[in-house]
Amino acid sequence: MKKMWIVTLTTYLRQVKSWSFVILVLSPFIMLLVSFGVGFVSANSTSSSDDIAVIAKQPALRKGYIQVAGKDNVDTKLTTAKAAQHALKKNDISGYVILSAGQQYSAVYHGKEAMSASDKAQLTGYLGKLQTQNNVAQAKLTRQQLKQLSVQPAFKQVVQKREGIVKMARMVSFWILVFMVYMILTTYASITAQEIASEKGAKVMEMVFSSTTASKYFCGKILGVLMVIATQLLVYLAGGWVSLVAAKQMNMAKPFFDQYGSLVNQVVHNLVNVNLLFLFLGVIIYTILAAFSGALVSKAEDASKAAYPAVYLSMIAFFATFPFQNNADALMVKIMSYVPFFSSYFMPLRIINQSASFMEIGISLGILILTIIGLTWYISSIYKGLILQADESHFWQRLRRGVAYK
Amino acid sequence: MLKIEHLSKQFGDLQALSDVTYNVKKGEILGLIGQNGAGKSTTFHSILSFIHYDGKISWDDQPINERVFDQIGYLPEERSLMPKMTVEQQILYWARLKGKSAKQIKPAIDQWMKRFEVKGKKTDKIKSLSKGNQQKVQLICTLIHRPSLIILDEPFSGLDPVNVDILEQAILNAKKEGAAIIFSSHDMGNVEALCDELVMMRRGEMILHGEIRTIREQFGKNEIFVTTDWPTAQLSQLPHIVEVTELSHHRYRLRVDDPAAGKPIFQQLSNGEYMEEFSQQPPTLDEIFRLKAGDPR
Repeated sequence: MKKMWIVTLTTYLRQVKSWSFVILVLSPFIMLLVSFGVGFVSANSTSSSDDIAVIAKQPALRKGYIQVAGKDNVDTKLTTAKAAQHALKKNDISGYVILSAGQQYSAVYHGKEAMSASDKAQLTGYLGKLQTQNNVAQAKLTRQQLKQLSVQPAFKQVVQKREGIVKMARMVSFWILVFMVYMILTTYASITAQEIASEKGAKVMEMVFSSTTASKYFCGKILGVLMVIATQLLVYLAGGWVSLVAAKQMNMAKPFFDQYGSLVNQVVHNLVNVNLLFLFLGVIIYTILAAFSGALVSKAEDASKAAYPAVYLSMIAFFATFPFQNNADALMVKIMSYVPFFSSYFMPLRIINQSASFMEIGISLGILILTIIGLTWYISSIYKGLILQADESHFWQRLRRGVAYK
Repeated sequence: MLKIEHLSKQFGDLQALSDVTYNVKKGEILGLIGQNGAGKSTTFHSILSFIHYDGKISWDDQPINERVFDQIGYLPEERSLMPKMTVEQQILYWARLKGKSAKQIKPAIDQWMKRFEVKGKKTDKIKSLSKGNQQKVQLICTLIHRPSLIILDEPFSGLDPVNVDILEQAILNAKKEGAAIIFSSHDMGNVEALCDELVMMRRGEMILHGEIRTIREQFGKNEIFVTTDWPTAQLSQLPHIVEVTELSHHRYRLRVDDPAAGKPIFQQLSNGEYMEEFSQQPPTLDEIFRLKAGDPR
């Protein structure tokens, strides 16, 4: 066990200390930061020219409208028509409105383009309310009459919002999940196959097998890669959680979360459950396959080709899920959700669409785990025979000899 | 003691090893010689259980297993280093796989690098070292855990004379410490300088085995080295002469068909006078190798 742990730790540390791993782990967060940054900058840079100025002789009238329109949409520093005119010339504001109160409330808008519909609605609404109050005061109505006049029409919307969100959440979760599985799996299949093929090319295996058994070395190697994957997933989970909490605190993202908050929660719920286990086990089984094919290459230059079998199989499984994203009950999906190498894509698809029972999920997980154990046992028993072949014979010949090693 | 008993190995139609039997005692060096394809590396691979074989191999009467691996120091024919590791990381990695702790090995690294005159620091990456220095690091990896069975596959190939001396000294030191050492070589000079015993192989068969002196004497003292004024034609007329070769000015090698002919030839050549050189020798290891290890087909 000690020697296996040495191999595991060496593999793990070599990977996590590499620049490629750091970039791989940090890239989604960098992208997130960049997109937030771009959003923030563009929001800030456009805000000033979209603002309007409000000018009024009566400070209460001006203040009332600024409150209605919101301080973010009004340039509050401009208080005179002259200053506003100057600012408009310099394109610092999109326009200015001059309010006046009296028997009749009025507003005159000055701008290079017509006032936006939303601003106009806001302004007329505000002035209409003030005018009504004034009219009511002037008419000297009784309390009963006033009450009668205050009756407003009723309008109520009944929308199946929950159902819509669930559907949308399923689709978003599906795409995030299959892309995550595909990306992580392809990356680690390549890393593992290349690492093993390079070691074979560097002829270190004779030294290794004069020190420890092939099965300990193979299991140590796989375990090392798994620890790297687990590290990446943990960073993603922790980073994702921190980003989510931080985003919810940001004013800029508040309208988004007001509108899509429940969708985001639903997606997170769909991802952070047993699906993560399927993702993790899927990466393990593809990593074992990649290690197997990595051991079969004949020279270091072929290391990049070593990942092909695992990557192609993963691609087939990835694309095979596409036609079924809205049809998780199809027979094909049901069958594939039990087949190792495919179940890591298809069972999460069923789980997201709530078409798999606990028992079915358990059976699929059981098959996957047993296959992983069986594959590890079998490949580790022939690993020495596979990896110590240094001749340049045909691939199938090397495979036949390796399989016959036992 | 390493015991190899009736070792045989077949690859398809090729009989790579055929009924090979010999021992290597602790504190003894055995040289394994033979042409390419004679079965030297296959023997090593069998000892290290890289391949399945027929026969029996044991170390101190135990089969070769992982516990025995810790006592073995193996130098493969090709370099087995990870280019991106530093010298220290590489040495520690192999030593830890041999059951040693970093604490035990770390303090010894500087000393071993000095002993092998490695040009470079222990923090240097393996890929930054020259080929010769990489080979020295590989040797340190083989020996630093003080193995009691040392297997060296062509350890002298590619080394310059200075490094050959360093390696020879390291092998003799390990012998002094009681290790059993087995190595293969094409250079008979190294074998003659270091080995207590040799095994000569040809096409998987052991064709010679024993102490070097005994093997050489088995072939009889059929060579005479002489310094004389006699011309070649006259030397050829001497009794039992098979071949005369002029090695340098007035220095000849005479091959005779009967070692007993040495005495009358000496009497004739010296005529009772002082002779600068007259030496009757068995054939060199090189000559025996050419004679025996060559393909008989």
